[in-house]
Amino acid sequence: MKLMFRFIKPHWKLCAVTMLMLIIDVTGGLYIPTLAAEMMNQGVLGSSFETLLNTGIKMAIGSLVAGLCAVIGGYTCATLTARIGKDMRVALYESSLKLSVHEFRQFGTASITTRTVSDITNIQTAFISFMQMVVPVPVICVIALALSFRLDTQIGIVLLIAVFIILLLAYFIIKSASPLFKRLQKLLDSMSTVLLENITGVRVIRAFNNELREQERLNVSFATYANTSIKANRKFANLDGLSFFCINFVIISVFWLSGGRIAAGHFQIGDITAVIEYAYLILFFIMMAQMVILTLPRALECCNRIQNVLDYSPEISDPASAQPINNEHSQSDVLVFQNVSFQFPDAEKDTLSNLNFTCRRGETTAIIGGTGSGKSTIASMILRFHDVTEGAILLSGRDIRGMRQEDLRNQLAYVQQKAMLFSGTIAENLRYGKPDATEEELLHAARVAQIDALIRSLPDGLNAFVAQGGTNFSGGQRQRLSIARALVKKPELYLFDDSFSALDFKTDAALRKALTPETKDAAVLIIAQRVSSIRHAQQIIVLNEGTIAGIGTHDQLMKSCSVYREIYESQTREVQNA
Amino acid sequence: MTKRQDNAKSADLSGSDSEALKDTGSTLLRLVRRLKGQRIRLSIITASILIYTVLTIWAPLYSAQVVDMLWSSIQAARTQGLPFAITWHNMGSALTHLTVMYIGIWLFYYLQSYLMAVVAETLTLTLRKQISRKLSHLPLRFYDQNKAGEILSRVTSDLDKVSETLQTGLLKLIVAIGTVTGSLVVMFYFSVPLTCIFLASVFLSLLVTKAAATQNLKYASLRQESIGELTGIVEEYYTGRNVIKAYNHEQESLNQVTLAAEKNRIVSQKADFLTHCINPIIRLLTRLSHVVIAVIAGGAILNGTMSVGVVQAFFQYVNQTAEPLTEGAFMINSLQSALASVKRTFDFLDSPEERPDPLHPAELEHANGLVAFEHVSFGYEENQPLMKDISFRAQPGQKIAIVGSTGAGKTTLVNLLMRFYEVNDGTIMVDGVAASEMTRRGLRRNFGMVLQDTWLFGGTIAENIAYGKPQATREEIVAAAKAAKIDYLIRTMPKGYDTVLDNDAANLSVGQRQLLTIARVFLCDPPILILDEATSSVDTRTEMEIGRAMKKLMQGRTSFVIAHRLSTIRDADNILYMENGNIIEQGSHHALLKQKGAYANLYDSQFA
Repeated sequence: MKLMFRFIKPHWKLCAVTMLMLIIDVTGGLYIPTLAAEMMNQGVLGSSFETLLNTGIKMAIGSLVAGLCAVIGGYTCATLTARIGKDMRVALYESSLKLSVHEFRQFGTASITTRTVSDITNIQTAFISFMQMVVPVPVICVIALALSFRLDTQIGIVLLIAVFIILLLAYFIIKSASPLFKRLQKLLDSMSTVLLENITGVRVIRAFNNELREQERLNVSFATYANTSIKANRKFANLDGLSFFCINFVIISVFWLSGGRIAAGHFQIGDITAVIEYAYLILFFIMMAQMVILTLPRALECCNRIQNVLDYSPEISDPASAQPINNEHSQSDVLVFQNVSFQFPDAEKDTLSNLNFTCRRGETTAIIGGTGSGKSTIASMILRFHDVTEGAILLSGRDIRGMRQEDLRNQLAYVQQKAMLFSGTIAENLRYGKPDATEEELLHAARVAQIDALIRSLPDGLNAFVAQGGTNFSGGQRQRLSIARALVKKPELYLFDDSFSALDFKTDAALRKALTPETKDAAVLIIAQRVSSIRHAQQIIVLNEGTIAGIGTHDQLMKSCSVYREIYESQTREVQNA
Repeated sequence: MTKRQDNAKSADLSGSDSEALKDTGSTLLRLVRRLKGQRIRLSIITASILIYTVLTIWAPLYSAQVVDMLWSSIQAARTQGLPFAITWHNMGSALTHLTVMYIGIWLFYYLQSYLMAVVAETLTLTLRKQISRKLSHLPLRFYDQNKAGEILSRVTSDLDKVSETLQTGLLKLIVAIGTVTGSLVVMFYFSVPLTCIFLASVFLSLLVTKAAATQNLKYASLRQESIGELTGIVEEYYTGRNVIKAYNHEQESLNQVTLAAEKNRIVSQKADFLTHCINPIIRLLTRLSHVVIAVIAGGAILNGTMSVGVVQAFFQYVNQTAEPLTEGAFMINSLQSALASVKRTFDFLDSPEERPDPLHPAELEHANGLVAFEHVSFGYEENQPLMKDISFRAQPGQKIAIVGSTGAGKTTLVNLLMRFYEVNDGTIMVDGVAASEMTRRGLRRNFGMVLQDTWLFGGTIAENIAYGKPQATREEIVAAAKAAKIDYLIRTMPKGYDTVLDNDAANLSVGQRQLLTIARVFLCDPPILILDEATSSVDTRTEMEIGRAMKKLMQGRTSFVIAHRLSTIRDADNILYMENGNIIEQGSHHALLKQKGAYANLYDSQFA
């Protein structure tokens, strides 16, 4: 609700116009039968045809005005809804950008995408139906009742009672149907889950000869769904029928009462038609509204999911005043970790504790360790996707928390494990970190990254098309392209987060060889699993359960560090024995 | 010949509504045939609809008489100067009849809606059950060629549409046809010119609806397109947000998203407006026709050619006829698209199944584990053979390593061993019996498989371990878990072996999932194994644990190991080196090194 108000507010004028138009339309809808009744009365009482025609013209004008208002209302409503949707999407995306890696992961890519696209579409659909179907209900009830009471108090009371009963019925329907609906939705989901399991696990199912069992599992979930659905429909059939009967009962009561009232001169015969029309209109709107209201919980759920993202206060923000960074290749200590510890907000133990090391210009520093050793968190912290909980990270001698995130990241080139390219061309992707890079620079970086042969083999070369997420390239190709992208940037610090894992050993070796002269003016930090990709590094940091188990060269560590030896042996064991 | 037919391209699931509508007749006939079992229900529905329609037409007619009666009694009372009073004779009985009629309408409405729901759900349930049978008889090729989502939509949304259309659309249509015909007859009887005016306005509305529908369709698809575009962009940006941030591209990405959102705004504004302006326009047309009818009817009352009751009833008929008439086109559309869904479901049910098992299959209770490929040829596409004339032998208890880069065809070998696909030529023998002469069940009973894609289903850990042997006792399950070194981890979980794995087993790491699938195979105790080694997504320690568990599992069994690290396969009895779907070298580690071929090359590059 809060969310809707927030996004309607900038367009409140549009919203007001929409409501006004809808109210005029509804009023017109009631005005027509009123006039029709008048006309019948005139006919019965034997007035002139001109009077009839006059009333007819009034009716026509009324219809036209109401119709025009309805069309305008439809237009403003559509405009309003579309604008709200767009504003929400942009706001949501903008908020998501501010989240740290950990915070974003709490939501997950799939979930945030759903929120940005279909959740908002759901809200839009619900909003438009709400405006068109639910907002007019009170208006129509009040006006119709007022008109009836004007005709005759007794008839008015009958209608009032009928409206009351129908509203009660509608309430009852909504109350009893919404859990059923929720249950149906859940059953539908579980039906899909079991099916999907059957489809994706077809090999395992057949390997274990479990086809019949799975068939049974599917059939059970299908049958439960069918039974619940029948139950829900039965309820609806009954209650719908009852609502119709209620209105028809109004007709009978009006007939019954009107005899005495007409004879007594309180009521006229044509007014019967008017009251019946009112009753039908009220019923129609209430039934439509009830259908819309049944879909509202889903839309509200969507609202909450969006609100959650918008309300999230991110853990990392830029300092109020930050000094710009002068880019001099002065310091030899590019990156320094000073007593750095890190703990995830919901964790009990430190993920990393008391890290002290320095990455120097022209040197390669490597970090090795198993998953869960916290090595990927190190990269996240350097990029300030997370903040340290204790200690400090210094880049060119300054605490990175004192810099603007943009300035910090300008000095880094990051290649992540899961290489990611964006749709467009290869050149656009390579220029990602340096928009004005020349073609020469791009080709050079490609050569170093061992991907030039591929680019040359493509008919469009650098302008070759890249599909969404780079899926038209293999994992290894994507990884090399993203390495090239980092090389084009020419940063202070290269950050390779397990970036060589999808490369075969030959390419890995060639790439590392070509990389050395390329990165001599910068510091290089490689995070790796494979000893073979890092054994030549000037400095290897062995990470074990969040602490440094050893720092040194390969040979030093082989002598002094048991964790390192264990890793090394597990990867090359049999070779050593041979 | 049969072998080739099995591998013939199976049905493609994609296809548009219009394509699916080509042979509507036969689809309809097939659907009707499936309804045979519900004959009694359908007859009751038909009877109910009949009575319901008669009542809905009769009620206004009767009410017209009531109003006229009322009016004439009032006038009679007035002329006689008597006070008017409602009596059983002048009103009471008539109103009671009317009440009974309305109650009848309510009851029959309930009856037919409820029964129709039962019919529709029973029908879809039967179809769904046939689909689930079908799923276990389809060749693997079908699953490889069709996306999971498409198969899924066959079973869920398509059939839901059918059921919904049957329940609301079809029922409405039948009732509407009855009501409209009946009402029109009565209306013509009352007044021919008024009915003609009414029909003219309906015709106009139909024209408007039709024109709008074409536009609507156009904008709806435009909108769908822009939604797709938007989804593409945000999905990409959310996936790559680390890169976006690392390269300071936040603002630019926001601009792109804003641009896509704006595009979508313009299109959806138009689409929504179109949808929501049809109703007011039709309402306007209806109201204007009401005005004309009212004026003429008023004149007729003046002339005395029509009574008040008749005019009042005429309006009731107008009300109950106008909506179904203008909605008719939509109803027919939805029926058509439901029929297309039915057709797609039938197509799915018709897609070719696996070759049936031999009638008198060879039995192999517990094989010794001798596996032999004899001159095997195979290709996924008939004209593109991958594997040509391959022969090798695995003695009981031997370890066969399969090496090759991604896409080299390691999965193909698994597919053939498990008989997920049929060989084009040659024979695969297990203990000297041709695999094709056994039932698939009989063959697969002898194989245990641990793949990297660790498939677990929504159930408890114990159920997942016992997947291949549902009757296993808890002791056996625990023993298997212990053998796979996963017992300790399971015990640290809140509910131990009864912990429910949901949401694609998100509460387990990749390595732990793999250990669970190893436990699964331990429990089944098969003589032949197919193992896929862990890769980089598992850390070194877990990898070692998996390696140890696998080694234990392999003891005394013939095993085929898909290897990712050369270091672990040096002790293999036979190494199959694959490239482009074919086995290009085979032999022991030392023999292959001596051969100085592709394997030796790879080995040198890895350990140079």
